[in-house]
Amino acid sequence: MPKFLRVAKKEFLDMFRDRRSIIRMMLIPLIAFPIIINLVVTIQSSVSESAAKEELKIGYILNGEDEKWIKPIKETQYISLVAYTDKDKMRADVKNEKINMGIRLEEGFESKFLDNKTPNIFVDFRGAEMEEKDRLDDILDTMNDSLVQARLKAQSIDTSIIQAFEYRMPIVNGMPYNGNTSEKQEIIGKYAGGFLPYIFIAFLFMGCMYPAIDLFAGEKERGTMETLLTTPVHRTQILLGKMIVILSFGLLSATLALTGLFLSLNIIDINAEMMAVINDILSPTLILTLYVLLIPLAIFFTGLMTPISIYAKSYKEAQSTMVPLNIIVVLPAVAGFIPGIELNYVTAFIPIVNVVLATKQIIAGNMDIILVGITFISLVLLAAISVAISYKQFGKESNILRGD
Amino acid sequence: MIRVENLRKEFKLSKQQKKERNTTDSVAVAVNGVSFNCEPGRVFGLLGPNGAGKTTTLRMISTMLVPSSGKINVNGFDVVEEPAKARASIGFLTGSTHLYARLTADEIIDYFADLNDVPKDLREVRKEHYYSLLDMHDFKGKRLGQLSTGMKQKVSITRTMIHDPQVVVFDEPTSGLDVITAENIIQLIRDCREMGKTVIFSSHIMTEVDLLCDDLAIINKGDLVYSGSMDDFRAGLNGKSLTQQFIDIVKEGGQNA
Repeated sequence: MPKFLRVAKKEFLDMFRDRRSIIRMMLIPLIAFPIIINLVVTIQSSVSESAAKEELKIGYILNGEDEKWIKPIKETQYISLVAYTDKDKMRADVKNEKINMGIRLEEGFESKFLDNKTPNIFVDFRGAEMEEKDRLDDILDTMNDSLVQARLKAQSIDTSIIQAFEYRMPIVNGMPYNGNTSEKQEIIGKYAGGFLPYIFIAFLFMGCMYPAIDLFAGEKERGTMETLLTTPVHRTQILLGKMIVILSFGLLSATLALTGLFLSLNIIDINAEMMAVINDILSPTLILTLYVLLIPLAIFFTGLMTPISIYAKSYKEAQSTMVPLNIIVVLPAVAGFIPGIELNYVTAFIPIVNVVLATKQIIAGNMDIILVGITFISLVLLAAISVAISYKQFGKESNILRGD
Repeated sequence: MIRVENLRKEFKLSKQQKKERNTTDSVAVAVNGVSFNCEPGRVFGLLGPNGAGKTTTLRMISTMLVPSSGKINVNGFDVVEEPAKARASIGFLTGSTHLYARLTADEIIDYFADLNDVPKDLREVRKEHYYSLLDMHDFKGKRLGQLSTGMKQKVSITRTMIHDPQVVVFDEPTSGLDVITAENIIQLIRDCREMGKTVIFSSHIMTEVDLLCDDLAIINKGDLVYSGSMDDFRAGLNGKSLTQQFIDIVKEGGQNA
């Protein structure tokens, strides 16, 4: 067995026995998403369900008008009405949260309506509780529509007069067609495609970070590096063996995160048609293409962290350098969520941003082979440079013995 | 054998280090023109106070550090020209029992045997020899993190000897160890001498030096201040203790030697 593989074998065994590392690099990525997504969905649905059932107290001032004008509100479930005579008092009660909202009909509401004019309803509400206002708006809008219909009917006017035009689905091959020429894959790629590389990059970084710290700074701190360097194994082989382990744990962590994400999509109640599209998107070819792009990035991360860890005096020093670096590296990954940023001849050269945008293209199925090719080549170059820097740093005796 | 000729090691000083040392010099000389020979079947003691340059010298012998100038030849191999071959002849042991806490004693020995290209059958024979000699059978399957300091040191000894090195380098091997554990090391050094190996060890414990050394060199602030046989050193005591003689030599920069 080549020496670098023997070094790697030992480091794998060592890392797999480190409970903390396993939790950070494997367990969290795998179970974080199912837990987080389920928690978010459950909380969201329970909050919106309870919000819809929450009783709204609405104050009203009729200003001498008939109660029929507020009948639709009165008949709505989970709404109770409180009569007021003073508009200032009602407004103060809204402000002090004694009631949720207040409505006031203007004086002469009915006569104005009967004269085919537009009478006013004044609403007091709290801007911080817009979902309450939305519930009232829905009721008032429905009320307004039925009154307009009634008014037109009274005038013997066809109700279609208020609608200038209507757009319909075209018929294609005898079937209604909604006019959307984009495939579902393209839409998912555009709007959700950025999420996948973001997850991958974030967990790739985290997965690389702990072994990188442990295998260099940690080993230096524990004093085992010296023992290893007195063996006849060339430093390049030691470096290579250790970097293979860092890279593997990074890829493993990221893969487990994506597996966790996929599992959570299966667990939560997602539209079956959408799930079928997601399953179609995640074809072996697509996954393979993504890995071709992401492996050089993983090598780059490994090459970025290795010299930091080699230079650091201790585990703590390496950790305090790499944690802020995490933010710097993962931040460009957010580019995938910003609308309008596309893969072009400029962004294809920006590390991380290029991976995210290229991945979006690949998922959307509209890959520009030249731009994705540029992305790949620039990542390979970057990976090569970072490995060369690692090699140089590991060869420096001042780094190896720093901290003595 | 080990031949050290006019060995010098300089370390570049960073701005911070210059400030700390209150100097404008851009380099610090850790070892300055040191020469000595260590012969097979003899134990060579490298003595000196803390910061004298003992560890730096031993690290250059074991190829961890590259000399700024001078030559080191280990078992016929120049440490700069053929470092891997030189390392293959060396067993390196320190007093610190740092090994991989999550691996078992057996896994550690196998790992270092593989790195030193020890054939599997030979490895098993040597493992059995040291496991019996050091009474390791009961804990060979246990992880290092669960072992006592004495047990760890036994693992370190086996790790050092698994490839049957011709040259054994001990860097303050008993430092921080209890009497019983230190005795294992002292016995190992004696065994190495009997096996005809070249042994170099650094120490500042004069009773150990008296007990083990055939030859010795004293270095202070990077300079060699004494070099000769242990017998000659004893002959020059003039009623003084070994420790007093050592202190005098260090203080007077070798004028008494």
